[in-house]
Amino acid sequence: MTPATEHDRDMAARFVARMDGENWGEADEAELQLWLDGGAGREGLLLQVHAAWVAATPVAQEEIVEEAPAAPAFWRRRGFLGAMAASVAAVVGAGRWLDARSSFATRVGEIRRVPLADGSVMTINSGSELTVRMAKGSREIEIAQGEAWFDVAKDAARPFTVAAGKVRARAVGTAFSVRRRETVESWSEEDESLRLRLVAGERALLSDTAVVHHESDRASAVDRSLAWRSGMIDLNGTSLSEAADEFNRYNQRQIIIADPVVADEQFDGLFRINDPQGFAEAVKASLNVGIDESDPRVIRLVKSK
Amino acid sequence: MTQGEVINALARRRMLAAWMAREIVPHEAGMRAWLARARVSAEDIDELMQEAYCQIVSLPSVDHITAPRAYFMASLRHMMLRRIKRAQVVALDAIGEIENWRDESMVSPEDEAGSRITCQRVMAIIAALPERCRRVVELRKIEGWSQKDIAAHLGMSEKAVEKQVWVGVRAIRAAWASAEAQSAQRMDQAERGMGAGR
Repeated sequence: MTPATEHDRDMAARFVARMDGENWGEADEAELQLWLDGGAGREGLLLQVHAAWVAATPVAQEEIVEEAPAAPAFWRRRGFLGAMAASVAAVVGAGRWLDARSSFATRVGEIRRVPLADGSVMTINSGSELTVRMAKGSREIEIAQGEAWFDVAKDAARPFTVAAGKVRARAVGTAFSVRRRETVESWSEEDESLRLRLVAGERALLSDTAVVHHESDRASAVDRSLAWRSGMIDLNGTSLSEAADEFNRYNQRQIIIADPVVADEQFDGLFRINDPQGFAEAVKASLNVGIDESDPRVIRLVKSK
Repeated sequence: MTQGEVINALARRRMLAAWMAREIVPHEAGMRAWLARARVSAEDIDELMQEAYCQIVSLPSVDHITAPRAYFMASLRHMMLRRIKRAQVVALDAIGEIENWRDESMVSPEDEAGSRITCQRVMAIIAALPERCRRVVELRKIEGWSQKDIAAHLGMSEKAVEKQVWVGVRAIRAAWASAEAQSAQRMDQAERGMGAGR
């Protein structure tokens, strides 16, 4: 590969500026393709310049989260971004450019404990993705996917905010867990953003649809759903389909319930997170279903013969 | 190409750029420093970086990459080893540096500082742009306005706004890519004792 010439860089910047506008059309795409085909490595150069431009603003970094959204969702998202950007500006003021931002991602099956600069500790559950931004007047976490548990260091001057989808949870000094759920339900009539106060032991399950499950007095339920922190899954009257989802979060080898009749059966037990096989065997024994392991990537729970 | 395909191609490019901006760009200074420690020349670093970006573009999807920074570094490492094999005569500690590299998924304080300083640097670059260009870039990047809105607000044509964005893109690209400028800035920062906080 030849190194990029000044002229190549110029051209890449020109295309990025044009893509940044609203008038990109067939002629532009054709022109770009022609240029890209004209020299090795131009695809990479274009991406490099494009990424540098996008990275040059904290606001734009927020825009990345979703896949190409449909028009209505896009406007909603814009509205939310506007609100977020405004609130960040209000809290941080001129210091916003000095924010330290870092991203964390865990693979399926990986659980990671991360101490934060302010003394808080977060434990990131399997298959999660989040961004942490520490600023002078605020501490902000955005969960793009998955779940995390936070043990928040007390600091009233710097509110600790966790955003997941359209919802933000805010704490001053407590421990809580936030999980982002992808649901297929349509958008509800809820507010653009919802604030809730959490005290120790409380749990909030947040989804894009702003459905909040909020438990305050049932410490045992919270402990149970936090069993993942010690490598266990604690099922207590959980439906089989939910239990399977739970295991599938942590393991490459997925459990598929092929028999819809048993999907709603309730199930109890304490299982090791990385042992879907053991779970399947237990289900087989207690609910009288069969196990089909002909495909090594999945465990199918089928009608017993 | 149909209009739909054009829109898809553009959406894909934007998404990929946003992904890179989030996952890779903040660590670029750290990666460049790592390559420099392995005695790779500045020009070669530029080339390796571009090659690694090309490799990302060639992927049908990046969805399967769960640790982008580690992935990107592995890709750089692979290309570098290939180069070293071609070069035949090699400084031994170059290989040592590459082999010593571990998959540190945690962001090191050094990287954090790197990306923070780069952000300041970008601010400085924007501030140093010619007046007209600076106003356009600030509205676009800091206020998040569309080029169209900026054109209406400033009474310019959209083409003219695009031209100013182009100048801004060039300047910002130069700021991110310039590892030397960053390290100079970092040393400067260290000398002033970080006390000022900005």
